[in-house]
Amino acid sequence: MDYAKLGFKAGLEIHQQLDTPKLFSGAPSFLRSDAPHYTISRRLHAVAGESGAVDEAVSHEAGLGKKFIYEGYRDTVSLVELDEEPAHAVNQEALDTALTVALLLNCEIYPVTQVMRKTVIDGSNTSGFQRTVLIAHDGFLELSSGQKIGIATVCLEEDSARLILREKDKVVYRLDRLGIPLVEIATYPDLKNAEQVKECALKLGEILRVCRVKRGIGTIRQDVNVSIKGHDRVEIKGFQDPKMMIKTIDCEIERQLLDLKNKKKNGEVRNAKEDGTSEFLRPMPGASRMYPETDLNLLRIGLDKINGLKKNLPKLKTDIRDELKKKGLSDEMIGLVLESSEILDEFETLLKVYSLDANLVGKMVTLWRNEFATKMNKTLMEIKEVLSEKVLEKILDNVNSKKIGAGDVKHIMMKILDGEKLENALKVEKVDDNEIEKEIRELIKTKPGLRANAYMGMLMAKFKGRIDANKAMEIIEKFVG
Amino acid sequence: MVELNFKAGDFVKFRLAREEIEARVLESSDSRVVLVKLNSGYNIGIPKENILDCVVVEKFKDAKKENVVPVSKGKPSIGLIVTGGTIASKLDSRTGGTAPLTDVSEFAKFYPRLFERVNVKKLSVPFMIASESMSSEHWITIAEHAKEMLNDSEIRGVIITHGSDTLHYTASALSFFLRDLKKPVVLTFSQRSIDRASSDAELNLDCAVTMALSNCAEVMIVGHANENDDYCFALRGTKVRKMHSSRRDTFKPINCSPLAKVWPDKIEFLEKYNARSEGLTKLDSSFNDKVALVYFYPGQDPSILDYYLVQGYRGIVIAMSGLGHVAIEDVNYFWESALKRAIKNGMVVCASAQTIYGRLNPKVYSTGRMLDEMGIIYLEDMLAETAFVKLGFVLGHKNWKSLVREKMLENFNGEFNSLLSE
Repeated sequence: MDYAKLGFKAGLEIHQQLDTPKLFSGAPSFLRSDAPHYTISRRLHAVAGESGAVDEAVSHEAGLGKKFIYEGYRDTVSLVELDEEPAHAVNQEALDTALTVALLLNCEIYPVTQVMRKTVIDGSNTSGFQRTVLIAHDGFLELSSGQKIGIATVCLEEDSARLILREKDKVVYRLDRLGIPLVEIATYPDLKNAEQVKECALKLGEILRVCRVKRGIGTIRQDVNVSIKGHDRVEIKGFQDPKMMIKTIDCEIERQLLDLKNKKKNGEVRNAKEDGTSEFLRPMPGASRMYPETDLNLLRIGLDKINGLKKNLPKLKTDIRDELKKKGLSDEMIGLVLESSEILDEFETLLKVYSLDANLVGKMVTLWRNEFATKMNKTLMEIKEVLSEKVLEKILDNVNSKKIGAGDVKHIMMKILDGEKLENALKVEKVDDNEIEKEIRELIKTKPGLRANAYMGMLMAKFKGRIDANKAMEIIEKFVG
Repeated sequence: MVELNFKAGDFVKFRLAREEIEARVLESSDSRVVLVKLNSGYNIGIPKENILDCVVVEKFKDAKKENVVPVSKGKPSIGLIVTGGTIASKLDSRTGGTAPLTDVSEFAKFYPRLFERVNVKKLSVPFMIASESMSSEHWITIAEHAKEMLNDSEIRGVIITHGSDTLHYTASALSFFLRDLKKPVVLTFSQRSIDRASSDAELNLDCAVTMALSNCAEVMIVGHANENDDYCFALRGTKVRKMHSSRRDTFKPINCSPLAKVWPDKIEFLEKYNARSEGLTKLDSSFNDKVALVYFYPGQDPSILDYYLVQGYRGIVIAMSGLGHVAIEDVNYFWESALKRAIKNGMVVCASAQTIYGRLNPKVYSTGRMLDEMGIIYLEDMLAETAFVKLGFVLGHKNWKSLVREKMLENFNGEFNSLLSE
């Protein structure tokens, strides 16, 4: 498809749940599958917006006249979610997380902003509106080609209630999801083809994952705004699988082309289907559905807060990878070290003690511990209890001060696991170089023609930890060409 | 700093250090910040010191739309008194805050269903204030407006919308002021602002209409019975209290059952009530506002009584602990002498229960017996707020001067309940 010729423009809108308490109540934010403790029933009615106009998208929502049943839990649902208490001040943990996302996206933060109510009357919000606050604007992210994609806005908003059952006159929602903080990221329509849309979505996902966000199905929702020349913007909601994006976008272009042929150009909101096509959901929402949350003060975001967050910005995985590579870690070791943030932390702490051999430090915290666990039929936890970060630090300290050699480290770890005290294990009784040489001559004489590694193995078997492996290899290589 | 020559409502272009913003200016509660609405609908604040330059692109035009009040000939007529509070406040697009609904047509815009069901023959807006700012003068004014409506033969009942904070005081006052009530008087409110699709005002008002057209000639508060948008309770004006700061079922019957369960289309009566009848309702709104309501607490200095005496107060209701006690054995404070001094100087001292639920009984403990003998009037199961209103009403009647105790203990309008149901 010739995207440039079609005047294709696309922008992404991402909603990601944050792993913090609820945004306007501080209630715990997790989904529940146990039976709800109670239900309440409510109705919603039409209200004229502040200008007196009823928003087109609002009036389209078929919430009026329906009965909404909300399922709640005594221990995790507060009066705010029940629409029985005014909103509490914005949860600071959620705000900090959203600001962190905005800063990672190079955005400008608004120093003063206001929590808004966005009218929603499909029943998914008990109040009849969704609270949302614009916190940042005009940032960017870089694609692998180097192209910068503009970030239009970053908002912090509350998630809606979870749909459980929809019948003709009755809809059942669960309140566990209502109020969970969402960060909403909207890009500018800078994306020039479907492939870029996908790459941008993946890149945003990578940035979000280093922040305090929830993981797993349903915790991230991706919408795409698509238009071709002559057609108004169409919003496609509900991608779960980035793999389907390209196909869905291509289908939408075909649909818009057909629209133009039929002299239609209207923007609308559509729902992505699994086969790549989409279906009409509702008209585009307008600005008239937004009005201020009158129960809260203006939200001020001070420079102190922003500077504090800037100092502690989490690193992206790709950045960490590059850094580890610079420190001399092999690709295989990078993979192992990055398996958990705990290991990465440990690795970075230990590397500060001994920075000459990143791979040695890497092996200590990954491969060898695992190896010992398997050999000794113990859990990794049990191994870690003995070979703690403190113990490893002590060993590396000795390597650094040349009291022991790098080649001794594994053996020392083994000895400690065998029950030897740390101080004793660190006392490596060195076999004299002459004695090693003598032994090597003897070995070559009795078993000639073997490879260096074979002699090394025999040497190690005889002297156990009492020789420095590197040193021994040097000597062997003198005799075996 | 650059001169900011725009007004709220204007569409303005701002130049800031790194960007330009075009937006509609709103009224800001913070003088250091210009609050604006962006085209997306979001509001943000611009610290004034960040504005390098600004130009008004478009002046504010007050597009006042004439709202037409629907006339509903052929439908039953009611009287409507609007006094302020959440139920009669709307969002002001210019200020971004809430402002009172100012006329009938606006009321009609927000509550079309009311005008579909009835013909609002008379509507009055005597004042628009939050209920915590009301005093006995406001109760009297409301009573006067209600009486006039009640005595219009076409009007079937009167609905009064009111802030919820002190609604139970007003309900008590109307219960005493409107004598020989022949038609329903229904007070209603909302706890959730009416801009929200979820506002409780809708059901409350709908049920208030049902009650106003009913056969029940009582002063009642009508509001959500529970957290569901299902039905309301009609609660007797003298035995009701606001019991929750934010929930929609905030009003609870105290020491009695609700008068009725009310749906938009039906009523299920739970208690006996005065039936609608022919004739005129009288107004008796004599009130002496030199009355006070004092809440007893441990370690309280009783010289508060002397203060009220010096200030010329004629009556005081003390919300006492338990069955009706104040500190008698406190070594620092002598309530006994302070109370005797007050009573000797002509102060009427009444006792009501700070437990809210239950009946006082001064005969059980020696403290109670002593206070009882001093001449304190024990008001049984009457709510402290009702007692306060009733005391002002009784003391307002000069011809009852020698009958104060009898009148305080006479059951005017269900303020006593000998059965204490619930």
